[in-house]
Amino acid sequence: MGVLGPGLVSGFADNDAGGITTYSVAGAKFGYELLWVLLISQIVLFFTQEVGARLGLATGQGLAGLVRERYGVRWASFMISAMLVANLGSIVAEFAGCGAAVTVMGYPSWLGALIAAVVVVVLLTRGSYKWVQYIFVAVGICVSIAYFVSAILAHPDWGLTASSLVVPRLESNSAYWVAVVATVGTTITPWGQAFIQSYVADKRLGPEDLVGERIDVGFGALLTNVIALFIVVACAAAVYSARITVDTNSPQAVGQIANALRPLAGAGATYLFAIGLLAASFLGLGVVPLTSAYAACEAFGWETGVDWRLREAPAFYGLMIFFVVFAAIFILLVPKDSLIQVMLTAQIVNCLLLPFVLVFVMRLASNRELMGPLTSGRLLNAVGWIGTGLLVVLSMVLLVTSFVSV
Amino acid sequence: MLYLSQAIGRPVRDKLGEPIGTVADLIVAIGDRYPPVTGIVVKTNGREIFLQWQAVASLDAAGATLQTTAIDISKFHQRPNEIRLKRDLMDRQIVDIDGRKVVRVNDLRLDEVDGALHLVAVDVGASGLLRRLGIEGPWRTLAHGFHRDVPERYIDWEDVDPLERTIASVKLRVPHKGLAELHPADLATIMDQLSRNDRVGLISSLDDEAAADAIGEMEPETQVDILEDLEPERAADILEEMDPDEAADLVADLSDESRVEILGLMEKDEADEVQELMTYGEDTAGGIMTTEFVAVPASLTAAQTIDRLRELEPDAETIYYVYVTDDDGKLVGVLSLRDLIVAKPSTCIATFMYGEPVVVHTDAGQEEVTDIVARYNLLAVPVVDADGRLEGIVTVDDAIDTLLPHPARIRIPRLFGRGSGAPDR
Repeated sequence: MGVLGPGLVSGFADNDAGGITTYSVAGAKFGYELLWVLLISQIVLFFTQEVGARLGLATGQGLAGLVRERYGVRWASFMISAMLVANLGSIVAEFAGCGAAVTVMGYPSWLGALIAAVVVVVLLTRGSYKWVQYIFVAVGICVSIAYFVSAILAHPDWGLTASSLVVPRLESNSAYWVAVVATVGTTITPWGQAFIQSYVADKRLGPEDLVGERIDVGFGALLTNVIALFIVVACAAAVYSARITVDTNSPQAVGQIANALRPLAGAGATYLFAIGLLAASFLGLGVVPLTSAYAACEAFGWETGVDWRLREAPAFYGLMIFFVVFAAIFILLVPKDSLIQVMLTAQIVNCLLLPFVLVFVMRLASNRELMGPLTSGRLLNAVGWIGTGLLVVLSMVLLVTSFVSV
Repeated sequence: MLYLSQAIGRPVRDKLGEPIGTVADLIVAIGDRYPPVTGIVVKTNGREIFLQWQAVASLDAAGATLQTTAIDISKFHQRPNEIRLKRDLMDRQIVDIDGRKVVRVNDLRLDEVDGALHLVAVDVGASGLLRRLGIEGPWRTLAHGFHRDVPERYIDWEDVDPLERTIASVKLRVPHKGLAELHPADLATIMDQLSRNDRVGLISSLDDEAAADAIGEMEPETQVDILEDLEPERAADILEEMDPDEAADLVADLSDESRVEILGLMEKDEADEVQELMTYGEDTAGGIMTTEFVAVPASLTAAQTIDRLRELEPDAETIYYVYVTDDDGKLVGVLSLRDLIVAKPSTCIATFMYGEPVVVHTDAGQEEVTDIVARYNLLAVPVVDADGRLEGIVTVDDAIDTLLPHPARIRIPRLFGRGSGAPDR
């Protein structure tokens, strides 16, 4: 049982505010048509997370530290700076998610952002880590239940769900492909890669935990996409099938979708949807700043991995608090229309970074001197590179379309 | 003075100034206080050649110049105590012994000592990082504009301990001399920051007693992790050196498999003691007591008792109290060290011992023990069984542990490290 955790929490955290927004929009705009993408991203997610976990098991080091040792300080600095910029954007998106969720519940959006910021800062700087972990898992379970029930309440067409899951639908319209790329891109992220590896390494798991860790990662990846599936079908049934149009370019899109559930699935579904969004944003708010600060400290040799007090670890806590507070102020001051630009920029940086991260990960994992018996075998290597290639192509597509739309 | 980063990639010229390649790495022999540079690795036509340091006439930020025109590569053999600076140390983690933490090498500082180039310090500051990124100059100008300094931080090579993993490629045994001299609590702090492999490597280099002391200072989960990673024989040796109460707590947390194996490898006396202590509930006086105390029969004189103390002292956890027991092992009195010393050497201890000592029972709760220790201002309280036989003592440090919230400090920067791992594995 001790092994279970890293993959699971990573899976929960993958469905943060950005993820839920993307899935909701996908379901509301394209109905059941994009479900097959979930199956593919599920497979790719499993393999990328597996490699990350294996790196952690074999080396006992996080990704940022390994890149620094093996590829030098410039690559490490590039990776960290890009990750920090992208993550700052993600954190803004988490705040937007909190805001959208509380708006649906009938409170002003700034209240949600403010409370979330305060709770996260207090939790991360004052809380004991055991608690933080339990809270993350509890919040993740809460998100899962919320979306499971919303999906049931929306009475989706389960037969169509099953067939759409396995039969890919290839359309020629470009908006459809942007949604495909966005769905994969929100699931497989640079910070997710850094997160799983640091988590495994810091939990001091070792080569003997390989089997357990693979199960954990598989379970986490499955869960990520099952939740995504519930969100997509809920929106497909209640919004797409009811022909309700949603302004998908608004940061409040997910709020509109939640409200659109009401006529068909009832007010309960709307509230559950909002609660799920709030919980997921909150989880992202906890995990993303933590991973960012951790990676930066690891690469530059600042105070990581120790139970330092606040005063003893100024860089770590400073970075973490900076992220949360900066993003919170940003969200309160910047008009909603510009918000979507910020999130788009973050997505572009993430897209640019992901291929680099995956190539690092794949190359490190096939280094026998570093990995020993955990070196990627021929099959894993082949599958990994195919997945990496696929993501590189998808990233390029998203990059090009983002520039076109910006 | 020269930084390694300033030399790497610079041209290497022969005696006549003809370029023959670039500086790829420097080789030093470790073991001395400041490791001397013993060789240079030159990259030429896509391959690396090794040259003895004697072949080098000069090395600075402009590059290296050789003594000769012809390159003789046949003589070089990398000796077992030699490491390559760039490959084995640059960007790697090392232990800053004075600061008690693990830091990353930003750059390496070389200096002339007694006419030869030596590795003298490790650059772990922001200036080193900026230099490596090639933006030290502009940054300094910028910082100067804001009247700020760029923080520089160097650690003398003497206060540095490279880790096993770092230089595993050269199969070098790191003596960890500096680390072995640290206080066990500081060693535990450092150990806490290391990855599993590094931790095991470090423990392997310590003697049993130092290892036991350091492990004794760690969190229970970390203790279990380390012990299970060690060879069972070594784990047994280290447990024998620990205080039995600590050892018992630790053994109780091991997996069933390791527990049986390790207990079987311990000396019988020690193993029995540990097993007996494990039978008591964790939160009772029996669970927190130690069996290493000094007990003497009432018939001794003060002088004989002091002699006995000298014999027993090395193992006992505290000697400030000497307990007096009868033939059945029942506690009949207690003496303080002070009583013993001020008494006339020939006096029988029965005449001046305190005949009604404060005791706790083995099944007394932890809070009760703490309460008694505090109320009577004791350094240790004896623990007796239902028949009044002396089973052990609880020292004040173990008693007050319960008063402190455990853990007593905020901990976060470890991503989920603690608490979720070992015990239920």
